[in-house]
Order: sequence, then C-alpha cells, then structure tokens
Amino acid sequence: MIERTVELLVDEGGLSIEELASACAVTCEWIERHVQGGLLEIDRSVGMRFTSVQLLRARRLADIERTFDANDELAALVVDLIEEVERLRGRR
Amino acid sequence: MEFKDYYATLGVDKTATADEIKKAYRKLARKYHPDVSKEADAAERMSAINEANTVLSDPEKRAAYDALGRRPPGQEFRPPPDWDAGFEFSGGEFGAGEEEFSDFFANLFGRGARARRGPHEASIRGGDHHAKVMIDLADSYHGARRAVTLRSARLDAAGHVVTDERVLEVTIPKGVRAGQHIRLRGQGAAGLGGGSAGDLYLEIEFRADERYQIDGRDVTQRVSVAPWEAALGAAIEVPTPSGPVQVTVPAGSRNGRKLRLRGRGIPGEPPGDLYLELELVLPPASTEAARELYRTMEREMKFNPRTERGR
Repeated sequence: MIERTVELLVDEGGLSIEELASACAVTCEWIERHVQGGLLEIDRSVGMRFTSVQLLRARRLADIERTFDANDELAALVVDLIEEVERLRGRR
Repeated sequence: MEFKDYYATLGVDKTATADEIKKAYRKLARKYHPDVSKEADAAERMSAINEANTVLSDPEKRAAYDALGRRPPGQEFRPPPDWDAGFEFSGGEFGAGEEEFSDFFANLFGRGARARRGPHEASIRGGDHHAKVMIDLADSYHGARRAVTLRSARLDAAGHVVTDERVLEVTIPKGVRAGQHIRLRGQGAAGLGGGSAGDLYLEIEFRADERYQIDGRDVTQRVSVAPWEAALGAAIEVPTPSGPVQVTVPAGSRNGRKLRLRGRGIPGEPPGDLYLELELVLPPASTEAARELYRTMEREMKFNPRTERGR
C-alpha cells in the first residue's frame, strides 16, 4: 500500500537547533559548540535556522567525530575536503 | 536470522584487544567511508563495520556476544531464551545509524531487548531516519511524485524482529536541487513509551546522466554539432530539460564553447542558467565519398592543428 505523507522542503522553513540536533543524533550543546567555533554556520536568510547544507555538514561532522574519535577541528577539515572533492567531481 | 561473525567483519582475532579492534575499525572506516570510498558497496560495508564495532568495542555487548559461541557466518541462528541473562547493558548509547543494523543485531541488542528489560521506561521520541532519493533532472524542472520504498525493522508480538517494507509517495518539488532535504514528519522510527515517531529526511540526489553537469541551479549540457555548423554558424534545435530550444551556433565556434541560456537552468528565485557546451562530432569516413571529401579538405585547407594551436 502506498502511504501519502506530509512533506516539507527543509530549506523553506529551516530547522531549529533542536530539530537539527535530533536529525544528527547529537545534543543541542554539540550544535552550539560547532556554531560558536565557526565549524557550522547558521543560515541567516531563513531566520537564524539551519538548512539542508548545514544538515548534511552537521551529519558528516558528527559521523567523522564518532567514527575516528576526531576532535572538532580535525573533523571539520575532513568535511571541508569531502565538500571540495564533491565540487571537483561535479566538474568534467 | 543469519549469524554475524563480527570478528571476521573487522578482520580481527577473537582475542583482539580493545586497541586492536579500534585500529581495525578505523582502518576499514577509512576504506569504506561512503563519502570518500569508490567501492560500489561502500555504504553496506560501512554499516556492517559500524555494527560489528558497536558490539565489539563495548565490553558488555562483546561479552554477551562471545557467550553465544562462534558459528559460520550466514548460518541460520536463533538466540536461546535468556541468552543475555547475567549481562548488564548500559543501553541508549547506540549512536547514529543503528536503524541500518542487521536483524541479528536488533534481535540481540535492539530496542526489544531494552524494552523487555525496562517496563517503566520513560516516553522517548523515535529517532530520525535518513535516506537518499534519486531523481532525474527533469523531475526538478517540472516537479514530480515518486514512490519511495523503505525498509525498517520492528518487533512483532512474540518479540521477534520483522522487517517492514513500506512505500511512501513523495512530492518532489519543482526547483529542488541536489543535497536538499525533504522532511517527512512522523515517518522515522516509532517512539517508545508513547513518545512521538521521529522524522524521515530524504536527501535529493540526481541520477547520473552524462549529458548534464549540475552546479547548484546552473546546468551544463553537452550538445553535439557538425564541423560545418561550428565553422559556418547554424540555427539548431536542442532538446533541453525544459523542452526543445532554438539556438544559434555562432560561426567560428570551437569545441567546448559554451552558449549561455539565461534562466533556463533549474527553476527557482532566481532560476539558474543553462550552458550548452558544444561538442564537435566528426562525420565518419566510412564511404569512399566521405573519404574523398576529407582528402579534398586536406589538399585545399592546408590545416595543421598542431601548428595552429601550438600543441
């Protein structure tokens, strides 16, 4: 049976800090620490909330930190490189 | 359910120390991390590696797992009643991705085991789930409805793990870009103790199509042109994701030249641009007449591309 669902494009309303934390299986303090450290940005265009870009980045940061016991800055460096590789692979 | 040999998954001996397990896990995680690995089955391998590490890196779970004894991987297996008697689990520290672990893991350490143990458990919201949904570029230009099939594990009345497959019909909004997420409220993991269900996040990814290169809302499309169309100029019709477009190829165009069609990229505010990248295609010299035409060009044009282009 096909279920119909209620969908929202994350970027239209953005995510609150609690919603982002839940989506990444981290605490709100973890999000705050990464925002204050400049490793994760708040999208001011959607009223100080978080969009898909930050959701993907936050999940990657949390995953790298968890998998490799990496500190915040090192995980951010790895994620920066992953994003750069993605950008370059998108080119021909 | 099938027995999982977590030691074999991590490639360590049963007597491995915590340090050896951590080292083996990190080595495999570097190799199979889905963000960097080029292995076709990286995501599945990483999930299996995470599952093995979750058990073997936790002394309580490892001791309980060891107590099951060793069996050949894949062998049909059902844990004996009270298999975990005498082992205390701290619970709760499962990390992200647990929902992707096998039935074997869920049956031994999953929610069921914890729920049976804690009749007074507080209400807990279900975890959020994540999945990717592959769409065609045309879906973003026009919007679409797509059926997304998802699998999830739950416990039946007898306490056995069963896998549910459900199909969700999802609206793909017009103008959606790769990397954006669609959030489906209440479609994540079920809550515990009356807690609400989590949400499901679907990450949009475009299906690979060698005709297109996508950068945000801008799209670059390869367009094949004949040498005379590039040299002399021509009006050609190009099929684009938004429909056929009449385009003027300027005379003297070289291979790789990009023609910009403003606002014909992915729709939005503002819409992206569509770049048509000209790709010169030589007619095959497959007939005597064609070969003669090439010989005539060779005689008449005195053209040496190495001299012209300096390489």
